[in-house]
Amino acid sequence: MTSYNEVRRAKRKSIKWKKIPDTAITYTIILLVGFIFLFPVLWLILSSFSAQGSMYDFDGFFPKNYSLATYIKLFTDTAMYNYPKWFGNTLFIASMSCIIGTTLVVLTAYAVSRFNFSSRKKLMKVTLVLGMFPSFMGMIAVYLLMVQFGLVNNHWGLILIYSSGAPMGYLVQKGFFDTIPITIDEAATIDGANKFQIFIHILMPLSKPMLVYTALTSFTWPWSDFILPKLLLKQKDMYTVAVGLMSLGEDEFARFAAGSLFVAIPIIILYFFLSKYMISGLSSGAVKE
Amino acid sequence: MQDTNKTIKTISDTSLIGKIGLYFKEKWNGIKDLVTNSNKKTMASFGIMGLGQLLNRQWGKGFIYLFIQIGAVFYFVFKGATDFIGLFTLGSVRSNPWEGITGDNSIIMLILGVLSVIFLIAYFMLYIANIKDAYNTQLRIEDGKLPRTLKEEIKDLLDKKFYKTTLFLPIIGVAVFNILPIVFMILIAFTNYGGVIVETGDLVDWVGLDNFKRILTLGQFSETFFKILGWNFIWAILSTSINYFAGLGLALLYNKKCVKGRAFWRGFPIIAFAVPGFITLLAFKFMFSYGGPINQMITGAGGTAIGFLDLDAGWTARMIGIFVNAWITIPSSMLLATGILTNLNNDIYEAAEIDGASLFQQFKSITLPYVLFATTPVLITQFIGNFNNFGIFYFLRGGLYIDGYFLASDTDLLINWLYNLSINNNYYSIGGSISLIIFIITSVISLAVYIMSPSYRQEDTYK
Repeated sequence: MTSYNEVRRAKRKSIKWKKIPDTAITYTIILLVGFIFLFPVLWLILSSFSAQGSMYDFDGFFPKNYSLATYIKLFTDTAMYNYPKWFGNTLFIASMSCIIGTTLVVLTAYAVSRFNFSSRKKLMKVTLVLGMFPSFMGMIAVYLLMVQFGLVNNHWGLILIYSSGAPMGYLVQKGFFDTIPITIDEAATIDGANKFQIFIHILMPLSKPMLVYTALTSFTWPWSDFILPKLLLKQKDMYTVAVGLMSLGEDEFARFAAGSLFVAIPIIILYFFLSKYMISGLSSGAVKE
Repeated sequence: MQDTNKTIKTISDTSLIGKIGLYFKEKWNGIKDLVTNSNKKTMASFGIMGLGQLLNRQWGKGFIYLFIQIGAVFYFVFKGATDFIGLFTLGSVRSNPWEGITGDNSIIMLILGVLSVIFLIAYFMLYIANIKDAYNTQLRIEDGKLPRTLKEEIKDLLDKKFYKTTLFLPIIGVAVFNILPIVFMILIAFTNYGGVIVETGDLVDWVGLDNFKRILTLGQFSETFFKILGWNFIWAILSTSINYFAGLGLALLYNKKCVKGRAFWRGFPIIAFAVPGFITLLAFKFMFSYGGPINQMITGAGGTAIGFLDLDAGWTARMIGIFVNAWITIPSSMLLATGILTNLNNDIYEAAEIDGASLFQQFKSITLPYVLFATTPVLITQFIGNFNNFGIFYFLRGGLYIDGYFLASDTDLLINWLYNLSINNNYYSIGGSISLIIFIITSVISLAVYIMSPSYRQEDTYK
């Protein structure tokens, strides 16, 4: 018995030894990949601490001197580039669209997942076909509509567009509702609950993680969109961060980098906390009905 | 006799035309039944909405329907009818500032015309609902039950018909901000709205398929169109396959047994994934610009600066685009592949190892078919996403117009060209036609891929 174990141990050892080059190659690739993905972000972070601010004063990729000057300038020197205002605008638009949009998405997903009404299949097909059209095909018409409604240069116009576009992405949420057994609903019905109560008191608490995911996606879209704000916001004071940062040139590179970090970091933190749900959200498109 | 009837029915069940025929036949029979069976009160609802309900003493509902009827009549008499006719004429009064005549604004007329059609459809649907409602009440009374009160109906909206309540706002929103604009743009594709007309405010006319002819047959548009179309396909195929396989490779790499601290290593691509796209794209644009760090290093080493993204960059710019797109998309396809691989049973690999399969064979015969099977729908969406990838070249090389291209550059995709034409240069009708062409291409491709895909042909293989 002992000899058998010894042989096994020896064998395992030899396998371990054989695997060393493989492990070394694996780690080299992993480090290389990590570097490729980290480097541009690192570059932005270091650039934001540049003392001079202009890209022409850099030494290759990195600034010659470091200081906090850019950050101070970002929030105090607002005559030309009113970053705090842009940030506030973006936060307002994104949060409002997130609240309204998430509500609409959840309501849509719930109806399609739990009810078998006559036009259900038709509705799903229509959204599928609508999704095939290029995204800003109707942009001109949206613009004309906004002019008619008097909502150009108005943040509520953007909120209206973002939130009413949100239900088109109901499929992920619907997929999640589908995984909650319908027997729960049936049990509640027997207990005398109506559909509205079931929705509020049973399905909502059960789908918290997915709600967070849906809310996050409907927050990040307005948070980082640049096409609609560029079309609809004409005054510099009304800009969102995306449009504002686009107007910065190479000589304001440090300001751009610092401004970007404030936009990116909240999202990055959120993503890390939610990466588990991200995966299920991403792959739920792969699950067939 | 019965057998032949059955076969006829199965044939008409399977063919699409048969299905449509059957559908209308059923509808027609339903209407016939309804008309022949309805009593006077229900017939009253045929004439005036809500009248039948009022005769049944359903006051609340009756007045709501009546109110809708009155409102609809007012709308169509005073506005709807002219709007509807305007959809066809697109205006007849030419503006003439010298004589002080403000002409018809064809585009506003087009939108209002579409809106009137939407109202007409909505009215028609309410009218049908009103008749059905009256008929249902009639059936209830014939069964000896009382008509439903408004309170009961409202209660229903929170219970059996809760879906109507929940879908109300989303459908209105999507109709106004998604469907209406798309219908508008489709209609624009068949008019001559664009170019000089936009500035002079002249009347717009229906021109049929002229715009499509201009794009597809000889001329400045078609030359650019086919050049861009070719590059668009190369781009979509190349970047989709690079991103897909690199993502799968990364997922497999991090899943290797010898890798310690997977969550940490996976964190790097997730950072890249989380940075908002416009920041990444602007940063890369700075990186490759003339005064950018790469060129500074080249000049520092005694070389001359290279215009990576300049007018004459050609394939350099295209390759940079593919690289930047890969940087942005690989993390998400890695996450996706990771998620799918966790569902794959490890026993299969152990069995394969015992059978003496090499690592490559395992990949080829187990991993790849499984992942391909599970991700075909996502692959289609990724392909279409790349086909219509607006951001990459908008940021890297936006606003460049190159000789030999009409208002576009050699890296522009159809969607960028669409933007240049319609948003920047007022070629709305051509833009609308290109949108339709993009729509046709993407839907045909996704349908074809979907039908040919293993997940469609052998649904139950991996269940």
